[in-house]
Amino acid sequence: VSAIALSPEAVARPATHGVFRDDGPFARLVGRALGRRLPVPPFALAAAGAIPLFVAIAATGDGASNALAGIVVAWFVALAGCSTGRLDHTRLRWMGTPFVRAGEYAGLIWIGSLAGASSVPAVFALLTVVAYRHYDLVYRLRIRREVPPAWVGVVAGGWDGRLVLAYLLLVVDALPAGLYVAAGLLAVVLIGETVAGWRAFLGRQGSGDVISYEDEEDEGQ
Amino acid sequence: MSATATPSRPASAHPSAPVTTTPTAVLLATAPAEEGGPAALLPWEGGTVLGRLLDQLASLGVRTAHVVTRPAWAAAVREAGADAEVAVAEDLAADLRLVAALAADAPPGGIVLLAADVVTHREALAGLLADPRVATGVLAGGRRHGYPYAAPTRSLRGRILSAGSPFHSVRRPTGRFLSVLKVTATDRPRLTEAAERVATLTAAGLPEGWDDELGRKEAGWRGRLARAAARQEDLEASEAAGDDEPNEFAELTELDTDDDGEPEADPTAALGPEDEARLSARVAGARADALSLVVVALVRSGAHVGNSHLRRLFWARPASHAEIARASEQILDYDEDRVLLDSAVKATDGFFTTFFVSPYSKHIARWTARRGFTPNQVTIVSMALAVLAAAAFATGERWGLVAGAILLQVAFTTDCVDGQLARYTRTFTKLGGWLDATFDRSKEFIVMGGLAIGSQEDVWVLACAALTLQVVRHMADFSFAESRIETIGSTRHPPLEQPWDTATRAAASAAATPAPVPSVAPSQRVLQFWRRLDRMPAATWLKRIVAFPIGERFFVVSLTAALWDAEVTFVALLACGTFAALYQLAGRLLRSVSR
Repeated sequence: VSAIALSPEAVARPATHGVFRDDGPFARLVGRALGRRLPVPPFALAAAGAIPLFVAIAATGDGASNALAGIVVAWFVALAGCSTGRLDHTRLRWMGTPFVRAGEYAGLIWIGSLAGASSVPAVFALLTVVAYRHYDLVYRLRIRREVPPAWVGVVAGGWDGRLVLAYLLLVVDALPAGLYVAAGLLAVVLIGETVAGWRAFLGRQGSGDVISYEDEEDEGQ
Repeated sequence: MSATATPSRPASAHPSAPVTTTPTAVLLATAPAEEGGPAALLPWEGGTVLGRLLDQLASLGVRTAHVVTRPAWAAAVREAGADAEVAVAEDLAADLRLVAALAADAPPGGIVLLAADVVTHREALAGLLADPRVATGVLAGGRRHGYPYAAPTRSLRGRILSAGSPFHSVRRPTGRFLSVLKVTATDRPRLTEAAERVATLTAAGLPEGWDDELGRKEAGWRGRLARAAARQEDLEASEAAGDDEPNEFAELTELDTDDDGEPEADPTAALGPEDEARLSARVAGARADALSLVVVALVRSGAHVGNSHLRRLFWARPASHAEIARASEQILDYDEDRVLLDSAVKATDGFFTTFFVSPYSKHIARWTARRGFTPNQVTIVSMALAVLAAAAFATGERWGLVAGAILLQVAFTTDCVDGQLARYTRTFTKLGGWLDATFDRSKEFIVMGGLAIGSQEDVWVLACAALTLQVVRHMADFSFAESRIETIGSTRHPPLEQPWDTATRAAASAAATPAPVPSVAPSQRVLQFWRRLDRMPAATWLKRIVAFPIGERFFVVSLTAALWDAEVTFVALLACGTFAALYQLAGRLLRSVSR
């Protein structure tokens, strides 16, 4: 690996796409076991995992059986999981994270709506907290050049962990309460860690420092 | 004392604390004036151009200024630059060795290197020296700023990918290097190395091809002067002011003709004696241009060299008494505070923000600056207003929807104010950048929640879908930007000896001819057409509206919620967002495959 001459930037951002993806334990496990053997680029695996999920949601809506949902979600976790932990060198590598995100959020909404309309607001609550984590991963890396501590990732569970948890809650009929509890706990943990992290950072650096660039949105590019 | 008196100048809203991060300046007084002597010693308001520049630098916290000049000019330079240390160098290579030595030995901190004959606003220098977001970087102009003598550059995402010099051409330039370079303390070893490298290369005559490159440029300059004389046109009148807006927007409207931006060559054109003197002064100045060679060496060594844009401030490098007279006249036409306020508005903002919010929000920004508010305070007020808007939406009553719509627009205006305030007062902090970005997202999602709570119908699935669409679109933005940065970072730069910046000379000369290259991939052709559209302002704005940026989204939310209900709002957000996502996906796929 050291034979490949990487620029300082490339070294400084070892696997930014990997950070953005927010992988959890199941995805890592599958990725480690099978990922390297599949001669398919990671972004294509993420797409191949997510597309059946989108098709199933479009075809059945909230009328799917728990079994069907389980199979489709498991397929997504398995296939997109295979793309975990590998560096994507293709030109379309930027499509990996959006596919993982779309699959995760769509899967959570689907699971919620299978439990009944009263569970969908709970999904919305969970999604806002999860979205907070996903933006924080990006902004923290851009602005502070940091990755959240590993324990936060463990608590947040990763996209695969959250899907598995939501599905288990559906099966044991613990929706919507389970999702509200999960969203509430996660919100407390994430916001608490953000505040602590910024305090520590400002203590180290002082407040008047450099930010790399300020484009929050790269729209129209 | 005047330091404690109430400030009377409009620009005094800016923090006046001197900058201490760049305590050393190196001024190169090596370019000649047409009438003889250094251009830096041309008269300016009772003093000299050099004296004015030294005062400006001192007011920005520069403590030691070194002026590099030729032996024959040393006495005059010493007289003009009262406190500056004057160093004498015989030629280009000696200049570069002096720069290398100063970069190695100067007291701790950053170094600013600049041509001693630059006439510009103090704020232009402050933008480079005092902006914490620019580490090592240059003062950059638009493609036509300093045209055609200033060295061209090609930039992407605020970073210089390829720099030009009198001896180096740049394919598809996006801007020009305006002869001011800042190097941070950490990059000083790179500066020493770069300057030594060029000094070694140029010590025993110029490397092969460099003279040809300058000859090619000279032919272009000659042709331009001859054509202007034939049309009896006054070139400098348009040249010094620069007729296009130099800012980050220039990168988006990148020249796409594979042109190198030089005027059409006419090596044999006859010039009048005045123009001949003008040309030979410019060529002599180019031969002494150590500064742009240092920038080329830095960029080609892989250093990260950023841009600080001139914005709409004045900049010129006058080389004769006539040009001085013109510059001193033109600089009077600028209202510095007005320019600063105008350029506090982000050039890459969306249509709605640019035309319906920024025209008045920038005045609010100035007001908040004068009242001493910080950008973070404004950000928090904006967030609070959005929470109120969400609460009003959550009532589900007509008055609540209308009140929420209005509050959301007020929150959005306030949101524009914080960024403009930060740019206007140059108070950029990491926490501020994070708060602004995070609160923007939070506002959007909390408003969606409020709307869904207040809705008569069950719209939670729609709300979830709208949130998902927005997150996925942003993640695609971030990932795509990241892969572009990776690509830039892994770009291999051509060796310093090579005058052109393409892989082969053939590519460089093919690029210089206007005829289209026959073997262009279809995806390339679509892209070229697409970028060419950017030259029409209407097309540019249409493309930005279609991308459905935050101003447009909030406008759609306010409008649909006030007139109809939450269900209409979510359907509208989903429809516009899906269209934008597909449009952007198509564009990015094209750009990914055609490199």
